[in-house]
Amino acid sequence: MSDVMTICPYCGTGCSMRLFVEGNQIIEIDADPTHPVSEGELCLKGLYGFKHVADPGRLTTPLMRRGDDFVAVSWDVALDTIAQKLNAIKRESGPDAFALFASARATNEENFISQKFARAVMGTNNVDHCARLCHAPTTVGLAMTLGNGAMTNSIPELGDVSDVIFIIGSNTAECHPLIAKHVLKAKERGAKLIVADPRMTDMANKADLWLRIPLGYDIPLINAMLHVIIKEKLHAADFIRDHTTGFDDVARAVEDYSPESVSKMTGVPAADIISAARIYATAKAAASLYAMGVTQFSCGTGNVVSIANLAVVAGQIGRPGAGVCPLRGQSNVQGACDLGALPNVFPGGKPVTSEPDRIWFEQAWGVPLPRAVGLKVTEVPEAMMSGKVRALFIDGENPMMSDPNTKHFGEALEKLDLLVVADLFMTETARRADIVLPAAGWGEKDGTFTNTERRVQRVRPAVEPPGEAKPDWWIFKNLADRMGYAGMAYEKPQDIWDELRRVVPALYAGMTYDRLDHMHGLAWPCPSEDHPGTSVLHQGGHFGTPSGKAMLKAVLFHPIAVPEEQRKAFESPIIGHISERPDADYPFMLTTGRRVYHYHTGTMTRKAPLLEQLGPEELIELNPLDAKALAIGEGDYIKVSTRRGAVIAKAWVTERVPPHVVFGTFHYWEASCNEETNADVLDPLSGIPEYKISAAMVTKSSPAEAKANVAAKRDYYRKDVEKAVTATMHAQSGAVS
Amino acid sequence: MNKFVIADPEKCIGCYTCEAGCVNVHQKVGLVAYPRLTITRTSEGTMPVQCRNCDDAPCEKVCPVKAITFEDNSVQLSESLCIGCKMCSLACPFGVITPCGTKPDGEGLISDGAYAMPVETMPDEASLHPLLAWTIGERTVAVKCDLCHFQPEGPECIRVCPTKAMYMVNGETMTESNAEKRARSVAEVFASDILDHYTRD
Repeated sequence: MSDVMTICPYCGTGCSMRLFVEGNQIIEIDADPTHPVSEGELCLKGLYGFKHVADPGRLTTPLMRRGDDFVAVSWDVALDTIAQKLNAIKRESGPDAFALFASARATNEENFISQKFARAVMGTNNVDHCARLCHAPTTVGLAMTLGNGAMTNSIPELGDVSDVIFIIGSNTAECHPLIAKHVLKAKERGAKLIVADPRMTDMANKADLWLRIPLGYDIPLINAMLHVIIKEKLHAADFIRDHTTGFDDVARAVEDYSPESVSKMTGVPAADIISAARIYATAKAAASLYAMGVTQFSCGTGNVVSIANLAVVAGQIGRPGAGVCPLRGQSNVQGACDLGALPNVFPGGKPVTSEPDRIWFEQAWGVPLPRAVGLKVTEVPEAMMSGKVRALFIDGENPMMSDPNTKHFGEALEKLDLLVVADLFMTETARRADIVLPAAGWGEKDGTFTNTERRVQRVRPAVEPPGEAKPDWWIFKNLADRMGYAGMAYEKPQDIWDELRRVVPALYAGMTYDRLDHMHGLAWPCPSEDHPGTSVLHQGGHFGTPSGKAMLKAVLFHPIAVPEEQRKAFESPIIGHISERPDADYPFMLTTGRRVYHYHTGTMTRKAPLLEQLGPEELIELNPLDAKALAIGEGDYIKVSTRRGAVIAKAWVTERVPPHVVFGTFHYWEASCNEETNADVLDPLSGIPEYKISAAMVTKSSPAEAKANVAAKRDYYRKDVEKAVTATMHAQSGAVS
Repeated sequence: MNKFVIADPEKCIGCYTCEAGCVNVHQKVGLVAYPRLTITRTSEGTMPVQCRNCDDAPCEKVCPVKAITFEDNSVQLSESLCIGCKMCSLACPFGVITPCGTKPDGEGLISDGAYAMPVETMPDEASLHPLLAWTIGERTVAVKCDLCHFQPEGPECIRVCPTKAMYMVNGETMTESNAEKRARSVAEVFASDILDHYTRD
């Protein structure tokens, strides 16, 4: 039995783990007691969520669609066909007829090469990934105010230093259990915990102060806290004078948000708002933690900017334990963003619209690069509908379940001339592809992940990929070679990494594989080989903005629309409202998220028997008062409908949700709430859709209706295609061995 | 006194790692693959609930076939001897004995035919008794916490809990913690006396 140290493939916490391997199979996973974040612990996904690696349904050969069926082809045939079709589409319709969805679960090296493929080989900036659907408002909002779209501190600082932790819109206990552990560690030291969340999560239960705001009311809450802080002169006046711009605008904007008026708006007692503001502002070191409960709104960027405003005005930033902590949800979503798998930036966050930056990358990559900002993930469906985008390459994402309003997304896919999907499995999305490429996955690949605290860590192969599955970097390199681009002469992931270190030296020059191998990663920026990495950003009030100062911005909110005269009082304020409010037809609000035992669309966790046993089906949280009114009992089937779709699942009658709010997930194809979410209204600044609020109707269903519904979903998601392909793969792997 | 495992609700984040760990180790030794503790959420808080190993255990009293016995300062249930009469489950004041049989494959309404859970057949040497070599569709037996008596490292839930919310209580730890609490309560009395003395005028 051998063992291999690597990083967990699930959330962005970046826990270190030891894989025990026997006969090319991972048989057990154990935690790493020396790791500063996970400290010898793992959650259940980390410990038991590895069975997908050896699942018999793994794709083992490239596949091409013939009518309704898929046939196995060689890599040569698959890559030649893709290269030829992409060349033809580029010739006929220009480079922007191609779009690429990169992957937040692929390595840094693979994200670097995939965005380079889009830009240098195809000549388009149409490259994006699922960060658009999670923390796009963070990359935009924090970059705009602080100059860096990332967590400002390290995770261990929460447990060791912070004396106040303010969690807003993060179900940390379920979505980042090992970060929740650091929050508990802080509490044991006597730190105060403030939680703002409409749902009674386990963090809310543990809070010293829980502010149960209604869905979407983050801006007025934070503005009211700022109102109190400024009125009571708890703001960091010297820090504001020396290191910020825009304070007067913010001070003026929050004047209207007295705790009393916001209390009227939200139902949160004014006294609680006042005490939250005082606790936060008078802390020695206060950290704000946030996640999708802040970003997934049509004013997601406004919410994020509010959190940055609060931190800067109270002077709670730039010191150990004090800062703004977006908790990122995928193993390498931070890395995918840092390495330019976004339509507006090159690796290292350099804007594609900046002439000097473009020239720098043109010289490095030896080809002219596109100047215009590309399409966002959320803009691609319309572009496919209109025929503007004719070819889409999806690298390890499953947007047929993860994107909002999936029905519309599926219709858009049908318009494509070429859909290529590289994945481990015949996912809901792969079933609609023209060409499916078998990818090597976590546990089979070499490279690095960047966790939510900017820590770049090595991931290592433990087993051989099944059949002919290949790492994503190999796929892009070979495609590039075939398309006549000579700038991808890589033989291994380290070659790609070393190129990144050369082209983005300010962040990565000091991170050699050798250094990363001998320590628990390094946090960027790490500009030289004797640099220890940077755990705290903006120290001494030096921000990453062009002026070096934090740029505070007025953020205004009204549930329906901010009055014109109020907007006009400020220069380019950020405006927030709720785009789809409940009405007579749809009197409930549906909000979505994750459960601890599954992960995203379940492509990996639903193949882990232990996890599937604990979470075998969707449960919709429904408040007891609503349950009583609708005569719905615990475990009864309910139907939740929105203007876009409906799911049927069992009710979990619980006070976790407030009255007239239901909560569901997107883990189960049988009942995926993303069939119901809204793709039409996007945050104007970041393009994120409003996953967190859809007007909904809740009715009682029945086991018979639920059964019929599952049969219908089975057809809709083409489960028969998955079954047929899986059987073929199984037969082939049997024949080989 | 009997020993038992309990969780500190201040530390439990309701992550189910204990449940998964429990299933994992029991399945490996051929016992029923079902969690012997249940994460229980209330509006006041969350914690797993499991057998308290009562010293005067009602389950032991009602078992008609002596499948439940006192062993090594704990209440043990033999899944081989159990006849599935469910009386122990009714008698248990904590609701921690679960009649459990594995559901037949594909019968669940929302089960995914293509990816039904694989049938785990146990190697012979791992199962405790040949009669217990369970397969899907097996009979129902009562299932309860056995403190993982089969592994030297003790209860798996304590080992895997990421927030270290679980701990074992036995005669020794109970004596220690009671002594500590007595000392603290006395100290508090004196401390308040002293405080009163200094704040009187």
